[in-house]
Amino acid sequence: MPAFVLLAWVSANACGQEAPAQIDRGLKGDAVCTRCHDETEAKPVLSIYKTPHGVKADERTPGCQSCHGPSEAHVKNPKGSSTRPPVDVDYGPRTTAHAQAETCLKCHAGGQRAHWAGSEHERRDVPCTACHLIHAAHDRVMNSITQQETCFACHKTQRAQTHRISTHPLAAGEMACSDCHNPHGSAGPVLMVKNSVNETCYTCHAERRGPFLWSHQPVDEDCTTCHTPHGSNNTALLKARTPWLCQECHTADHSGPINSGANLPGGNATTVNGTLPLANQNPRSQTNARNCLSCHAMIHGSNHPAGARFSR
Amino acid sequence: MKSINNSVRVRTAIAAAVQGALLSLAPARPAPAAEPASGAEAVAQLTQPSGELEVGAGDVTKGSYKFGEYNGLEHEGLFPILNFDLSGGGSYDSDSVRRWDVRGADLGVAARELSLDYREQGKFRIDLGFDQLRHNISDSYQTPYLGTGSNTLHLPLNWLKPSVPQANATNLNDRALSPVTGLASAVTPAGAVVPPTAAQRAQVIAILGADVPDFQRYNLYTQRLRWGGGFGVDLSRHWQFTANMRQERRYGTQPLGAISSAIQENSVILPEPIDTETDQYEAGFHYAADKGFLDVGYYGSMFLNRVKAITWDDPADRTRTATMSSAPSNQFHQVNLAGGYSVSPNTRLSVSGSYGRSTQNDPFLSDTSLPLGLPETSADALVVSRNLDVKLSARPTRAVRLLAAYKYDDHDNRTNVARFVFYDVNLAKGAAASSFNGALGLPAGTLSSNVNIFNNRPHSRRLNQLDLNADYAPTRAQSFALGYQWQGIKRHCHNTWIDCENADTSNESTFRAEWRARFLDTLETRIAYAFANRTVAYNSNAWLALVPMANVVPGAPTAGATTSVYGYLTQTGLTGFGPLAGFPASPLTGAAALFSPNNNIVPQSLYGSRDNDSELPGLRRFNVADRRRNKLRSSLDWQASERLALQGGFEYNRDEYEHSTYGLLQARGWALSLEGDYRLNDDFELPVFYTHEDQRSRSAGDGFGTNTNAAFVGRAGNTLVSGGCYATVLAKNLNGKMDPCLIWSTDMRERADTLGLTLARKGLKGGRLDLAGDLVYTWARTDIGVSGGSYANNPFALAGAPVLAPGVPAVFFIPATDLPTVATRTLQVRLRAQYAVGRSSQVNLLAAYERLRSSDFAYDGMQFGSGTEQLPTNERPFSYSLAVFGISFIHRLW
Repeated sequence: MPAFVLLAWVSANACGQEAPAQIDRGLKGDAVCTRCHDETEAKPVLSIYKTPHGVKADERTPGCQSCHGPSEAHVKNPKGSSTRPPVDVDYGPRTTAHAQAETCLKCHAGGQRAHWAGSEHERRDVPCTACHLIHAAHDRVMNSITQQETCFACHKTQRAQTHRISTHPLAAGEMACSDCHNPHGSAGPVLMVKNSVNETCYTCHAERRGPFLWSHQPVDEDCTTCHTPHGSNNTALLKARTPWLCQECHTADHSGPINSGANLPGGNATTVNGTLPLANQNPRSQTNARNCLSCHAMIHGSNHPAGARFSR
Repeated sequence: MKSINNSVRVRTAIAAAVQGALLSLAPARPAPAAEPASGAEAVAQLTQPSGELEVGAGDVTKGSYKFGEYNGLEHEGLFPILNFDLSGGGSYDSDSVRRWDVRGADLGVAARELSLDYREQGKFRIDLGFDQLRHNISDSYQTPYLGTGSNTLHLPLNWLKPSVPQANATNLNDRALSPVTGLASAVTPAGAVVPPTAAQRAQVIAILGADVPDFQRYNLYTQRLRWGGGFGVDLSRHWQFTANMRQERRYGTQPLGAISSAIQENSVILPEPIDTETDQYEAGFHYAADKGFLDVGYYGSMFLNRVKAITWDDPADRTRTATMSSAPSNQFHQVNLAGGYSVSPNTRLSVSGSYGRSTQNDPFLSDTSLPLGLPETSADALVVSRNLDVKLSARPTRAVRLLAAYKYDDHDNRTNVARFVFYDVNLAKGAAASSFNGALGLPAGTLSSNVNIFNNRPHSRRLNQLDLNADYAPTRAQSFALGYQWQGIKRHCHNTWIDCENADTSNESTFRAEWRARFLDTLETRIAYAFANRTVAYNSNAWLALVPMANVVPGAPTAGATTSVYGYLTQTGLTGFGPLAGFPASPLTGAAALFSPNNNIVPQSLYGSRDNDSELPGLRRFNVADRRRNKLRSSLDWQASERLALQGGFEYNRDEYEHSTYGLLQARGWALSLEGDYRLNDDFELPVFYTHEDQRSRSAGDGFGTNTNAAFVGRAGNTLVSGGCYATVLAKNLNGKMDPCLIWSTDMRERADTLGLTLARKGLKGGRLDLAGDLVYTWARTDIGVSGGSYANNPFALAGAPVLAPGVPAVFFIPATDLPTVATRTLQVRLRAQYAVGRSSQVNLLAAYERLRSSDFAYDGMQFGSGTEQLPTNERPFSYSLAVFGISFIHRLW
């Protein structure tokens, strides 16, 4: 019911999307610009005609002046100065990020941009053109292989983390930042594409979703309690090495004792200060190899009736 | 400052073009032209649909699973290079809205992608796609099991139970798989060090001869194959309908740890077969107008696991098997609604909400470990999720921006709670009867005291969050922001007999401030600080929800208890750990005897669990513990000259778990990023970046022992303790649970340095040749410092051995030692040349070198003879040095 109320409200206030009457969005209008900004431009603007913005037969597509404004001063240069006055909307420092976004959102509201207002990037004045190359035939942020180039321009720590020994396949171009994040804003934390971190992770790791008979509380609540998704020194993208990661929450029974270098094969505890013969040595299993996960492998949840300790 | 951002983007573009998309060469980048195109041709190239095809071959000089972890290049030798990018349809100046694209990338290797997109813009679009992703896990893994790749794993008929007869003739011990440790001298019960006898040697040699050859290498990898498609229809000027689906099949094998036998707490690493399918569907109506929008949609995700269980032989006795369940099949269905409305030109309201149901009803596995069978045939699990997000943003003046947001997120687990009674893997029923046979209405002796009687705990969570933010920008060059966030979380379990959550309520307030400024159009800086304080009502006894017998007075209390465990804890305010007192002069009686043998931890037999599930008093699980969080972010961007741009960024985080005595106590870290970009002109640039990250965490625990009044080890005269906090065995044992020397702490430090350098030179050879190269060096290391220690008995302090000589310790205190550094060094160097041949073709040359060296002590415990209680896999840390060469020809078809 609320959906219909909202729908009625929105519909009643719809104003249509027609461009202002004074703008000629056709090729004739564009020619005012392209007679100078032609194929000789260092950053060719003409490539826009290869993009959805250049499909002139679609009456919704903009012309140059739809986005840059009529820019009469720039076009006519009435004072005849050597450097023409700038266009009305130049998508540079002269135009606020908000004004730039408003131009784009006239056509691109809703969908992926539903949460733009108030989002992290909106509040930090990141304009659309900081990420999108509007005139380029291939907007690299729309390509899963090249998208990270754009994101890492600002998110440098994450860029470095993708070079760790345990990573998602970002550097290989098999995964894109936008598989997990919606840079335009979202209902989830840290711009997650879904409502929560876990909901986002389950889009690729549905086997972790359960619901399990035996659920592990921090796993249910937030995958990032244990994992750091951009890259880690520890296998399986863990935030810290096991068993010490596990011991941050578990100190009962066999998770209580210390795990130190003395518990490794040949360590002081193994040799009891050098007095234990080789055949009697027994390094602590929890310190070695896959440690806790050697037995508690179903740590994300178990559906075995005897799996209460995540080992079945 | 935008110029700085632009230059950085150019740098990263070059870096990723060379390294990330190793084989996706041409389509994303314009090819240099050998001959200048005429004006008309140039315009056509820029504006008309085009088609490019790339064909070539490459060579990997050495196979490496790690190098090929995700890129499909794990094998040595030649590989094909095949990419294409074809576009067609009407021209921009035509009256056609029809466009299409067909793209293929990395088609020659197991990381291939293929996509097709057809659209009549403003009317409809259809897209199809295929994507393959192989994930290499290990190529050094070894296993003795037959049937790898299936879910039934048997040991070979010749398999002998690994044991070291001179140390213990019957116990499983994987040291027997090494001729060094298996044939080494051992301490006899009489306290003598003797080499193995001829018979013992023969037994070990027989084990070595039978078992070691059974270990075969088996490569572990998984493969994802994704098919997808979607379409969208523009129903009217304002309405659109879209739908898409994606099917993913995942198969292969991955390592799975499994308890092979709870009798001796041994485990094996099995090759777990993977065969799953995930189908995801999305459909929605979208309405957009000048002042608002509305999206109504459905999302469904269906996960099917064709492997329901895995069964394997016990290495201690190959006639016994154990079974583990796999991840159950499940479904998730969600309805979403989102809308936005511009209340005024400067005020916007956006609302989104969703309702989802997550279900799972796979039949339970049943085996002999369940003495009473199953209480129900499946979990019939259901989680209902509800989410609401409301944001109101306003710009009352040009200088002021306000945001108010509310978020509600409810994860309501409605799974039924039932009682599950089981013995651990391959564990025989014990001799002593359970105290709860009577309470459960069972004949005496039905269950033994080593049984587990557990209830499941369906965790639910409800979050409410309020955000208030204000930004003030008095000038275009400067802005201030203040923010406040309150977050309240309530947790609970339906139908558990006691509150199941350590933190049923937590509240967190966060205060934020930020300052941004720009000076002289060449310098931009940002400093942001946030402080958060989380308070939690921590419940140390929440673990009792798992063990329903804790609320039952034992029918035949073995220690004279007259109330339930829970009753006693409630009366005394203790936790399951018990009182921190010394060993009493006389045994405690009545309900106090629940801590047995007097003042120690609650005995498992009195709450129906084979393991102790209680935790130390003072432990706070960090994700639900009181916490003070400080965050600092800063950055500085400086356009030093037209050619040189510099950037710096600094991040600092500090979490203090101020009320935690054990568990994670503190986590802090900082990261510094520096970048420089020197651009001589549009054809030559040299960007460099460096990032250092330093993360530290400190945690604590207690390896407490058991309070006893035992005064010696083995023989009456063996009373001395070397080191530690007590001089005698008696003093140590009387204070076993409060020995300060057993309190340990860990200081884990993870550091990583990443250096990147890119060189790009365009327009050589009369504009025909572009060169690009990059280098990335990463040095990551983990250091774990540990304080504290543990006790170990003198191996000669035995009942059957002579009394130790005067002054010889019966017990040694083994001080903790730091762990060896875990380090990884990676060097990547990649060079590329693009040479134009004519107006429509180019030749690409690629040369890459990669080197990885890693050291990790975890692998030491996976080797033959390492003596851990885990069947060896003989895996090795990754290490490789290799080169990749490639040559390809790119032709512009149209």
